[in-house]
Amino acid sequence: MAIQVSGITKQFGTFCALDSVDLEVRSGELLALLGPSGSGKTTLLRIMAGLEFADSGSLLLNGEEALSLTPRERQVGFVFQHYALFRHMSVFDNVAFGMKVRPRGQRPTSTEIKRRVMELLELVQLAHFADRYPAQLSGGQRQRVALARALAIEPKVLLLDEPFGALDAKVRKELRRWLRKLHEDIHITSVFVTHDQEEALELADRVVVMSQGRIEQVGSPAEVYDRPASAFVYEFLGQVNRFDCVVADGVARTANGALSIPADGTVRGPAIAYVRPHDLGLSPSAAGPGRVSGIHVVGPDARIEIDLAGLPLEAEMDRERLSALGLRPGDLCAVHIDRARVFPQP
Amino acid sequence: MLVKKAVGFTPALADSRWVKGLLIATALAFLLLFLVLPLVAVFVEALRRGTDAYWAALVEPDAVAAIKLTLIVAAIAVPMNLLFGVAASWCIAKFDFRGKDVLITLIDLPFSVSPVISGLIYVLLFGLHGLMGPFLKSQGIQIIFAVPGLVLATVFVTFPFVARELIPLMQEQGNEEEEAALVLGASGWQTFWRVTLPNIKWGLLYGVLLCNARAMGEFGAVSVVSGHIRGETNTMPLHVEILYNEYNLVAAFAVASVLAMLALVTLVVKSVLEWRFGAELAATRH
Repeated sequence: MAIQVSGITKQFGTFCALDSVDLEVRSGELLALLGPSGSGKTTLLRIMAGLEFADSGSLLLNGEEALSLTPRERQVGFVFQHYALFRHMSVFDNVAFGMKVRPRGQRPTSTEIKRRVMELLELVQLAHFADRYPAQLSGGQRQRVALARALAIEPKVLLLDEPFGALDAKVRKELRRWLRKLHEDIHITSVFVTHDQEEALELADRVVVMSQGRIEQVGSPAEVYDRPASAFVYEFLGQVNRFDCVVADGVARTANGALSIPADGTVRGPAIAYVRPHDLGLSPSAAGPGRVSGIHVVGPDARIEIDLAGLPLEAEMDRERLSALGLRPGDLCAVHIDRARVFPQP
Repeated sequence: MLVKKAVGFTPALADSRWVKGLLIATALAFLLLFLVLPLVAVFVEALRRGTDAYWAALVEPDAVAAIKLTLIVAAIAVPMNLLFGVAASWCIAKFDFRGKDVLITLIDLPFSVSPVISGLIYVLLFGLHGLMGPFLKSQGIQIIFAVPGLVLATVFVTFPFVARELIPLMQEQGNEEEEAALVLGASGWQTFWRVTLPNIKWGLLYGVLLCNARAMGEFGAVSVVSGHIRGETNTMPLHVEILYNEYNLVAAFAVASVLAMLALVTLVVKSVLEWRFGAELAATRH
């Protein structure tokens, strides 16, 4: 089912959580709402679910206006960051809840409910935990129960609010893969909120980058990473070196003159240049102008801190390449910029 | 060296045996002097002239009327405050609105106002010379010096017990489970019965038990509105006072012992429930 958001605005007191947001969620896709806290991503998700009211705008679920519908009428599955499992019910009863509260006419028989619940628990690999209580499960297991419970009402859309936010790094990674696979199997239109760019880029078909109640960019993970539409997106997606500079004749120069970066013709005057650490090339050079001020090894990668005439830079490369270059802290080196983006000063 | 140190290690917070013993003895002496001794004294005094006199004091018509009245007042006041307490804590814990702090303060008011004054308020409002007195009289409704007045005074005094117990619990539990229930298709009513109520049932039970204990034992407010009509508007605490003032000590302590037993039963019920459902209680507090 497709979702069409147009002109949704939401104000909390004087704080503008959403500022006339337009967005289309395509049927069957897995969409990530990515942004820092306070960017409005969770508010947008909650408005889609009917847990929050929009001040203005319209929301179409499968072409039908949905803002006036209650959450129960929208038939959406919602997964909460802190699971929100019913603590006094067993795993089985949690998953069965959505079916049991249906009006008598639409309620499945108890054998049918049992069959459905066990099927879903199979799907989330928790069938043998049916009798346990939420307090007896690990975080990852609870989140899978929450997912099974959301799927039990056969929702047309699955909405997930920071679904992995409360889990530790290893479980998060496993669950992420598992969710991706689940989505490939059942192909339900899904929207998830995250502030973790790695999560969004790995999991989503398309990524929506949000900031201060507005959408900065919508695109495939590769698009938003390779061609960020704004300085914010560039800074938010991954590590970055940022320089204040002035553009003249298609070249951006830093104030101390240590670095000049080719800029496209559209920018003129004061600007900000961005270079990703792995787009920064180094070579040993007795003449400088850079000096290696520190090297940090993180797993297979090395982060090299450079002091370029008072300008701190960070480069990243794999460790083999670094040892081939033979750079050590204190060595002098030359700096090449393989790729950079220049945005006008806001 | 390290091992040696660990063996001889005394935690900074562990007091010597002597201090520990002194603290325990003080606490026990306190309990004995102020709780156990008076309780025992009530029963000893009540049974001073034997079980026959004790029994006679309890089946005497005025005493029976007082016991009945106390039970009736509690049976009306406690459910009223149960409903009010759940409604108030629901709206305070789950919603944000203007004037919320004022409402919380108002709920606490009966705790800070002297019960005598709360009784007087009702006399001033509904008494013969009160604000609404002439109107009530013309309608043939009597509130003061009658059961309705006793119920009103008791409701006022026991007002905060349920709400005070539930508000922090509900605030701690938050809204997420209710939201989950709504998204899963439950109606507001279903959400309340299936999600909210089971989550607060233990807090609710405590609140009701406390409320009930206070409703049966209330003296001050009830005393002002009762009029002390023997066999009609005397509750148990008032009846005890009258008997005591008449130097009828055995009867006074006999009725008092019934009140004390009601309190003991309340405590036992609470402990049994805690013991029986301890695991579940821990799970819901999780």
